[in-house]
Amino acid sequence: MALNPLFFRKTIIAGTGLFLCIFLIVHLSANCILLLPEETARGLYNSYSTTLRESPLIKLVAYALYASILLHVVYALLVTLQNRKANPQKYVLNRFQENSTWTSQNMGLIGTMILLFIVVHLANFWARIKLGMGEAVRLDAAGNMDVYEVTSSLFHNIYYVIFYTVLVIPLALHLHHGLKSAFKTLGFYHKKGLRIIAKVALIYAIIMGAGFGIIPFIVYFK
Amino acid sequence: MKVTFKIWRQEGPKDKGAIRDYEVEGLTEDMSFLEALDHLNELLVLNNEKVIAYEYDCREGICGQCGVFINGRAHGPHDNMTTCQLHMRSFKEGDTIVVEPWRAASFPVIKDLVVDRSAFDRIIEQGAYISAKTGAAPEANAIPIPKEMSDRAMDAAACIGCGACVATCKNSSAALFTSAKINHLNGLPQGYAEQHKRVSEMTYQMEIEGFGSCTFTGACEVECPEGISIINIAEMNARLTKSRIFG
Repeated sequence: MALNPLFFRKTIIAGTGLFLCIFLIVHLSANCILLLPEETARGLYNSYSTTLRESPLIKLVAYALYASILLHVVYALLVTLQNRKANPQKYVLNRFQENSTWTSQNMGLIGTMILLFIVVHLANFWARIKLGMGEAVRLDAAGNMDVYEVTSSLFHNIYYVIFYTVLVIPLALHLHHGLKSAFKTLGFYHKKGLRIIAKVALIYAIIMGAGFGIIPFIVYFK
Repeated sequence: MKVTFKIWRQEGPKDKGAIRDYEVEGLTEDMSFLEALDHLNELLVLNNEKVIAYEYDCREGICGQCGVFINGRAHGPHDNMTTCQLHMRSFKEGDTIVVEPWRAASFPVIKDLVVDRSAFDRIIEQGAYISAKTGAAPEANAIPIPKEMSDRAMDAAACIGCGACVATCKNSSAALFTSAKINHLNGLPQGYAEQHKRVSEMTYQMEIEGFGSCTFTGACEVECPEGISIINIAEMNARLTKSRIFG
């Protein structure tokens, strides 16, 4: 029997979502360099980003990352469209907040906000550093691209600081529901295990939200 | 007791339908919700109006017929309850009570509050049984089954097919219903032989019927009169994967 789209699409969303969750851990860990005093942070951050750009293994992971984001978005869109078709007529009165969380009911909306963030985020960094668009990135004393400077100048613009900080809220909400549900979608049904996963998902979402949210502020006041 | 009912009236499947208001007096707190509807229908008969069509059978919470959406919740304001077990004491004097049929593309409205739930029957036809001649009831201890296993099967078997899970799901997913029917049999030795065929064909039928996919909002397990756990859906997902590998 052919693959059942009801399950296949969700499996792709869950699988890519979990991969993106792992990526975020690495991303936040690396960004913690930005919390260090400027003289230490600049050299470390720039040499780290040079390593990322030049390692062939990281290149492979980067392609997996692009593919994951695209698949996650495309399949989420397909699932959402299918689900809307399955439920075309809404209730006159629906008190869904009494039986489920707002987040779980609005993952599509929250995901769209994150997608908007990713587009801006890629335009700020990826397009400038990897694609060479916009103002050329200078080299630091060690001859590495001064990515620290790109970050620092961006986060000295209060509007960007607010944008980056506010958008960690949908990120944290999305991660909380997503991480919790991904395991169930992939067929993990151990009762106690699921309770632990729910707690881990909450802690993970708080750490990611607080971590990514605080860095722009720290850089702003440095 | 006096309340205002706002009830969905729809002449037939092709009719557009709309909410109509009915002010009803002479109710008591001890009346069940269905008795209040009966009372309203009697008043409509006396007024020479068409009565409101709604489904019921046992009125004791075990048949799953009486599914309606009351004040924004499947089966009314309480968790894990059927409509027939809801009483007017759950409402206050002067309350407005909105009553709507289940909403899902796979549950088309037949008339007023009655929907066609035969999509569930067609899912069941795909394998919620064992295809062996069982004859007379066998000796109860002929197949020893550990207590934990039988408890889990019985918890899943408690599903009465009322459709609240689909009705409350923002995706109109039938995952809780289908998973309960699958896990009930797949968890027992009697259902073991046909486990892979069962899970693959029943989930396939679920897709054909136009139900959405589960996104784990968890609303279904709150509204399910039998309190069937959403973990059943995760188990069904695992069984489906297993059927792909071994089936």
